[in-house]
Amino acid sequence: MGAKVKTIERRGSTLTERIYLIEIFKGMARTLRHLVRNLRDNKKLLVRHYPEVQPEIPARWRGRHRLTKHDDGTVKCVACFMCQTNCPAECISITAKERLDDKAEKMPASFNINLLECIYCGYCVEACPLDAIRMDTGIFSVTDNNRQSFIIGLEELLTTPGAYSEEDYKKGGA
Amino acid sequence: MSLLDIFMIAIRVAFSAFVPLCFIAVCVWMERRGAGFFQDRSGPNRAAIFGFRAAGLVQNAADGIKLFFKEDLISDHIKHKFFFVLAPIIVFFCAVMSFAVVPFADTLVLGGNSYVMQGIPMDVGILWFLAIAGFSVYGIILAGWSSTNKYGILGGLRSAAQVISYEIPMGLSLVSLLIVYGTVNLSEMAQFQGQLLFGFIPMWGAVLQPLGLIIFVIAAFAECNRTPFDLAEGESEIVAGFHVEYSAMKFAVFFMGEYVAMFASSAIIITLFFGGYQIPFLNTQALIHLAKPVAFLLMIGLPVVMYYFAGWIRRSNVSHYERENDPRVFEANVYIKCFWGLIAIIELLLLAILLMQSGGAATHIFVALLQICTFLVKVTMMIFVYIWVRWTLPRFRYDQLQKLGWQMLLPLALLNIFITSAVVVALG
Repeated sequence: MGAKVKTIERRGSTLTERIYLIEIFKGMARTLRHLVRNLRDNKKLLVRHYPEVQPEIPARWRGRHRLTKHDDGTVKCVACFMCQTNCPAECISITAKERLDDKAEKMPASFNINLLECIYCGYCVEACPLDAIRMDTGIFSVTDNNRQSFIIGLEELLTTPGAYSEEDYKKGGA
Repeated sequence: MSLLDIFMIAIRVAFSAFVPLCFIAVCVWMERRGAGFFQDRSGPNRAAIFGFRAAGLVQNAADGIKLFFKEDLISDHIKHKFFFVLAPIIVFFCAVMSFAVVPFADTLVLGGNSYVMQGIPMDVGILWFLAIAGFSVYGIILAGWSSTNKYGILGGLRSAAQVISYEIPMGLSLVSLLIVYGTVNLSEMAQFQGQLLFGFIPMWGAVLQPLGLIIFVIAAFAECNRTPFDLAEGESEIVAGFHVEYSAMKFAVFFMGEYVAMFASSAIIITLFFGGYQIPFLNTQALIHLAKPVAFLLMIGLPVVMYYFAGWIRRSNVSHYERENDPRVFEANVYIKCFWGLIAIIELLLLAILLMQSGGAATHIFVALLQICTFLVKVTMMIFVYIWVRWTLPRFRYDQLQKLGWQMLLPLALLNIFITSAVVVALG
């Protein structure tokens, strides 16, 4: 199947276009129409009044990370280091420990993500064999005063809830 | 020299020095909000003092304070620190000085003496503007060179080449205008434009010299380094051009200089082509004669305009999302009250004009004030055109710029001179 080719008509060779001024006035009339429309009714501005009005974040959007849990509240992560290995920004650092609740052999002792280094590519989510790490918190604004607080640990990753229902998340193609 | 003489000199110098400075705030506000509205966004409207945003004007104060308190940095690699600091001063100084020759009202006659309403009443008039406006490019070149920065020097060189190319069509388009007016004095030009052509068209430069107007406006845009001719800045290719190394107040002086230059060149365009301070169909004699009817019409017209303006404020100044006890409604009511107060004061003054004896000093002052207002309204409209063009047209490529200057504008300006001279000679 060949790529769709759209031939763009070359403009600018006719006499009226070569005089410039007529086309310039046409363009100015167009921008003036926008100005007048917006001055008459500024509800028509294509503006979201952030932060009072928050944007709608779709389920596929890659926001801040979280670690998912089993139904009984234990951590799903088995500290296999797949995400850490796959991470192109090398922002994940995991230390593993022995797991004693018979769900698996290992579990993370610490799970740190440096959000300043993270490029939000989502490769960790793809790499995870157990659907333990997700980026479905819908948090898009990560701000703080000092660098240290951008390194989020196991506790914070586990407590941050997902913003979407399981169905919506699955519909997103995950 | 009487006290009145000294007072009038102080007034006229203060006007031509401070009005451009006051208009910086208006220009920046118009530019940023206007840009927003042209592009279907809202522009800066959040900065507020006690919840009063003044439609975004407070943002100017915030920006000013920020630039004022920023670190004034001169990098170590800059060897010629004196020239580096001198450059923004030249730009700003030239911009302010170039407005000095523009008359903002007709000669005011008070008690038998006449007072020129012009910062520096000089006979050279328009030549002064050409000289000073041409000199301001030295500031840009100096800034580019002394920055010791490749982008800076590229911006400076572009600006130099551009100004040389566009000074010529500008000067030539003026020549044809001078043939028509027969004077270089801007006051006399403005007085000339108070006449009527065939008895019903205002004899403005725009009517007599439409081609000259187009050439002059294009050249003036280039002279001010405004889009579509702002190659000296060219942020997409040379970062910020000549002012790339400047920070804090030195940058702010460049920035303000640009807007003062815009104001000054708008004022020149108005004076040369759009009748200066002249109200169409009402020249100074007619105004003095008809002062009372005009005042009466204003007394009726102002509240009507204000009524609709108040409605517009009330409709526009609301929050566009669910909010309890919207504070912007309160804000709008305060603005509307302030404006009505202003209108009331103006109405009282107009009433005083109506009650006074016509033809006296009060009438003359009233006429001068009317002309100043007309002048400022016209200049604001011209500044709006500058802003309008900036947010409509993309920047020219460098070769296109030179081609337009030398191959289009220069022959057109010469042709205009020939045609104008022929017509003037034929009409005798």
